Amino acid sequence: MPDRKIEPPLHVMDSLSFVNPHIYDIAPNVRLYFMQDVPNETARFDLYFDAGSAKLDEGVPAFVNGLLFSGTDQKSATEINNEIDALGGFLETGISSENAVVSMYCLRENVLPLMHIVHDCIENAAFPEHEVEELLRDRQQKYRVNLEKVSILAQRAFQQRLFHSHPEYGRVSREEWFSGVSRTELKRFHRDNYLGGLTKVVVVGNLMQDEIDEIIDAVGNWVKEAPCHFPGDLQNLADRFHIEKKGALQTAVRIGRMLFDKRHPDYLDFLVLHTLLGDYFGSRLMSNIREDKGYTYGIGSMVAEFHETGYFMIATEVRKEVTEDTLKEIRVEFERLQQEPVPEEELKLVQNYMLGQLLKSADGPYHMIDIFLSAEMQGLDFEFYNEAIRHIREITPQRIMELARQYLNWDDYTVVTAG
Amino acid sequence: MIHFERFVLDNGLTVLFHKDPTTPMAVVNTLYDVGARDESPDKTGFAHLFEHLMFGGSVNIADFDAPLQRAGGESNAFTSNDITNYYEVLPAYNLETALWLESDRMLSLAFTEKSLEVQRNVVIEEFKQRYLNQPYGDVWLELRPLAYEVHPYRWATIGKEIRHIEEARMEDVRNFFKKFYTPSNAIMCVAGNFEAEEVKTLVEKWFGEIPGGIKPPRMLNSEPAQESFREKTIEREVPANAFYYAFKMPERRNPEYYLADLVSDALGREKSSRLYVKLKKEQKLVTDIHAYVTGSLDEGLLIISGKLADGVSFEALDEALFNELDYFRTHAMEEQELEKLRVKIRTSKEFQDQGLLNRAMNLCFFELLGDANGINMEAAFYQKITPEMLRLCADQVLKRTNCSLLKVKSVTHAG
Repeated sequence: MPDRKIEPPLHVMDSLSFVNPHIYDIAPNVRLYFMQDVPNETARFDLYFDAGSAKLDEGVPAFVNGLLFSGTDQKSATEINNEIDALGGFLETGISSENAVVSMYCLRENVLPLMHIVHDCIENAAFPEHEVEELLRDRQQKYRVNLEKVSILAQRAFQQRLFHSHPEYGRVSREEWFSGVSRTELKRFHRDNYLGGLTKVVVVGNLMQDEIDEIIDAVGNWVKEAPCHFPGDLQNLADRFHIEKKGALQTAVRIGRMLFDKRHPDYLDFLVLHTLLGDYFGSRLMSNIREDKGYTYGIGSMVAEFHETGYFMIATEVRKEVTEDTLKEIRVEFERLQQEPVPEEELKLVQNYMLGQLLKSADGPYHMIDIFLSAEMQGLDFEFYNEAIRHIREITPQRIMELARQYLNWDDYTVVTAG
Repeated sequence: MIHFERFVLDNGLTVLFHKDPTTPMAVVNTLYDVGARDESPDKTGFAHLFEHLMFGGSVNIADFDAPLQRAGGESNAFTSNDITNYYEVLPAYNLETALWLESDRMLSLAFTEKSLEVQRNVVIEEFKQRYLNQPYGDVWLELRPLAYEVHPYRWATIGKEIRHIEEARMEDVRNFFKKFYTPSNAIMCVAGNFEAEEVKTLVEKWFGEIPGGIKPPRMLNSEPAQESFREKTIEREVPANAFYYAFKMPERRNPEYYLADLVSDALGREKSSRLYVKLKKEQKLVTDIHAYVTGSLDEGLLIISGKLADGVSFEALDEALFNELDYFRTHAMEEQELEKLRVKIRTSKEFQDQGLLNRAMNLCFFELLGDANGINMEAAFYQKITPEMLRLCADQVLKRTNCSLLKVKSVTHAG
């Protein structure tokens, strides 16, 4: 009979093995990354465009992104959807401040036919008038539904304040966007930022070399010739802002500040501080605000990045009556990290947890390409993750206190509540 | 093909082992054959609240999460109307830590008052966050009791009302554990790069001595056949009118389940589906429309839901919708349309099977259905389906008398 009081012996991850993608230079600033080693029939391809929402106001980038597959002069939206579905393709289009992405998930046997459909749709996108109207109508309804959610209300105000120095990053949708948009403007944006805006191609799947060549031939004429430039000096507005929502049962809380990206010397050590504070189930914030006080279903922190900078945020939804107390407790947790060294036992746990999660994030070709791309965005490679292992293993309680003193000062933070 | 081995411990615990030599990670997935349908009508939401308490420490281990995190792993769980499912994902070399933790909470919980008190509050916040403080969030709280009159599917897993959660007592917790959390009521899957013998030895070591208990018999009220159309309208401060048509459909173990599943795909899974094309793209009655099945073990629901475009009436939608459904019931589809549905299923299954956790969860679920190997049989089922079989299924399911309709009517803010 085993002694249940004694924990089984543990091993700690000490190294990762990486699989590098094949890299093809399509143009001086545009590459295709090919992850071939997939042990099943699945495949995915992504096309990245320099067509992010920071590029233009009035919702134009988002509308163009949403209308890429809404018809050409030859084909209607329904005909396009039929063709994609007949090949079992799952199409996703998405947009962030700094780029737009078109992704296709499918069986590898269907990659090429689907690529040709995607190519035809983007190359010949016609932005039919009735499709533009339908999109605006649908988005308007979605927008109105969203405004009923405290999480969205808080997120919108937060974004405006977090990216205060660069309003194009803090732009949020407005009712008047949906009353009409010029098709000429849509077409111009499409021509400039899609047909001449391809910045990156990613292919995952057990494909042949000549299939990759065919993909490069198809999209090669869309490459963006000039290098992209993104700002690195975003500044948040450190203040407190509240949005009143009548009848809300919960208050959404968003707290954050601009920070840095992966190339900053404090980045990797900060990740440990961030995990400790709010990025795992046993974090300080979860232990205090959910597991001790029962104020919320969940609270967490997040580190996110642009090409040239990054930010840090905390998000939760709490019982309305405990909003102020939640803010106070988050602040208490900031101060504890500044003043008290993290107990060895807790630090050990966080280190082991992070190393285990790193192993998981490198498991399988899809995860592998994702961590590769995450480093590649800032010109780094897999060596970044070896560096991460070293930092996680070597960090000290003293170093964590130093970082907390430098980066967890309440007065530097944008604080938004909605409820 | 997903390979697995099965062995059953003397105490009745069914264990599946799935070997994957390509991953450095391991999964331990444990399914308990208990869900919200096993609750009593005056104590609903209990299976789910109990799931939260499973993380509040066990008889020999004060904290469930910390040792797992120290092993580089993480854990979570979900509760449905049918089952409660727990899993740990961690580096393969620390597999034993997961087995130690999972076995100790199967042996017995710590049952601390503090844990119950806090998790009651956490679940109440979850209730608000997901069901009450979201536009359209309470739809399932309204739709279930409309579609089911006597079967316990008439309440949602979160529970009928917050009061039931507030009233949960430690005695209820203990009784629930004793009745449902026994090895004979569980199915476990261990997945990763291991040898079967090594898994057997470790599982036997940690789970072998847990008293078996008796698999609790299940005697649920079966729902009488629905004979007439039901309809309910609720008014909410939401920006758009929304509709939820719920048709009764065959239970999960019935081969006809797969037919109804394909019928829902044909109607409203993708942007090339019938309702999306006819009602949204052509007639512009809706801004959004989907069809899907609940996938429940007992008699389930095929749902058609969406939002009306501004200025369109519920009646106009109803007429157009039933025109399409009646057409489906009377005309077999072209082989080409069926082939489109099949390739979509094949593709999504290939992606689902990619993840180790998914494979482990699904093996357990199919074992609950009767045989874990069912996971490898599904594709053949779909291949055998013909247009005429789908038409017959549609004719049975898509009748107005078999349907319950919930309308959410938009009203403007009172002040």
